[in-house]
Amino acid sequence: MAEKITAYRFDRLDQTLSQLNKENCSIIAGGTDVMVLHKSRRGVPPKIPNPVIFIDHLSELKRVYQNQKDLHIGACCTYSELLEDPLIPLPLKNAIKTIAAPAIRNRGTLGGNICNASPAGDTLPLLYVYNAKLLLRSVNGDRVVAISDFIQGVRRVGRQHNEILVEIILPSVLEEGSHVVFEKVGNRNADAIAKVGFAGLIRVNDSRVEDVRFAFGAVGPTMVRSVDIEKKLLGKPIPLADSDVAEVVAAFDKIIRPIDDQRSTAIYRKKVALNLLRYFLSSKQYQPN
Amino acid sequence: MIKFTLNGRLVETDAPPTARLLDLIRDEFTLIGTKEGCGEGECGACSVFVNNHLQNSCLIPIGSIDGTDVITIEGIMESEQFKILDESYSSAGGVQCGYCIPGMVMASAALLSKNPHPSEAEIREGISGNLCRCTGYNMIVDAINLAAKKGDGLWQKK
Repeated sequence: MAEKITAYRFDRLDQTLSQLNKENCSIIAGGTDVMVLHKSRRGVPPKIPNPVIFIDHLSELKRVYQNQKDLHIGACCTYSELLEDPLIPLPLKNAIKTIAAPAIRNRGTLGGNICNASPAGDTLPLLYVYNAKLLLRSVNGDRVVAISDFIQGVRRVGRQHNEILVEIILPSVLEEGSHVVFEKVGNRNADAIAKVGFAGLIRVNDSRVEDVRFAFGAVGPTMVRSVDIEKKLLGKPIPLADSDVAEVVAAFDKIIRPIDDQRSTAIYRKKVALNLLRYFLSSKQYQPN
Repeated sequence: MIKFTLNGRLVETDAPPTARLLDLIRDEFTLIGTKEGCGEGECGACSVFVNNHLQNSCLIPIGSIDGTDVITIEGIMESEQFKILDESYSSAGGVQCGYCIPGMVMASAALLSKNPHPSEAEIREGISGNLCRCTGYNMIVDAINLAAKKGDGLWQKK
């Protein structure tokens, strides 16, 4: 007789939170990572540490709304739902289109991509350059944490066992004026895990750099971002001088330390990451998008 | 006890909530049109509709489909749309070994119901989650193109 598996699927978020406060559960949103991570042989349920708690049907986790210039995205919105939502910024939609394929985009969630904390998580470079903040809720209340503090290592996040990621907040994202790009390099367009991911954001005022941010994915245990390096470019005239570009590329050359794995090599990853950065910085002009 | 609608019929099961929808529909309900390829959501052979959205049944724990509407390839076989797809795949030579075809047909139907006049790029995007190791895809793209034309006006009909 198979082991009895305990699972919960409450109608409301508050019931879900009070159960999580009583016992540690494996949380399942879309399940597209969890089901593969714990896969058994065919006909045998995946060996997910139980109890499990299903959250992807909770309407409280599926709202998208605007609060002044900030965008709040419910953690259990699927990628397909975000693609159809008029509030979602175009660069984020373009990034989502590079994720997996239609059937997975109908199940996978933005919150799941964050909590899975894969070094190659597709949306993560972009969420880092948006300075995304995460709203976590438990029976004790809410707290907000920066994504770069929440993701601590490979598949390691700062979530207490009684908390749920409720919303992803993109501060000031609905303000006009930033130029944002997202690049993903993989073996093919669909269903590929990234070899390198890159996101860049730049805002130009009076032909000078007013704000600039970059994040690299799949070249370290977590996304690589350096506010110190970004600061070097503030106030520089556009188009950037070759020496400014070279200085920033050289600074990232020191801190990007990828690994070899089945998808790519460290040498290739580093080369491509720096090329993407150089290409982004060498643009003659930046159009707000 | 998990209850859901399977091809229009209300069903229930006491299989474990973490069991895969794929195993449930094949083993318990003996609907073996839905295939297992990779078991990791990359090949699309196990594609089904959940609440009319194309999904990979190998990635779905059945606990999360309580109360939903699930349709497999068997569930669309009587439809007019399926007949058009069937004829189009045959005449374009889109079927060789056939293992990917139930999933391909589900993906084709999902695409055409959302976008009845897809461009070639949109067709390739629509089946981008479905692997075929025989045809090289071109004949499948032709089949979907043909189905879009033959079934004009039919795709958004319920």
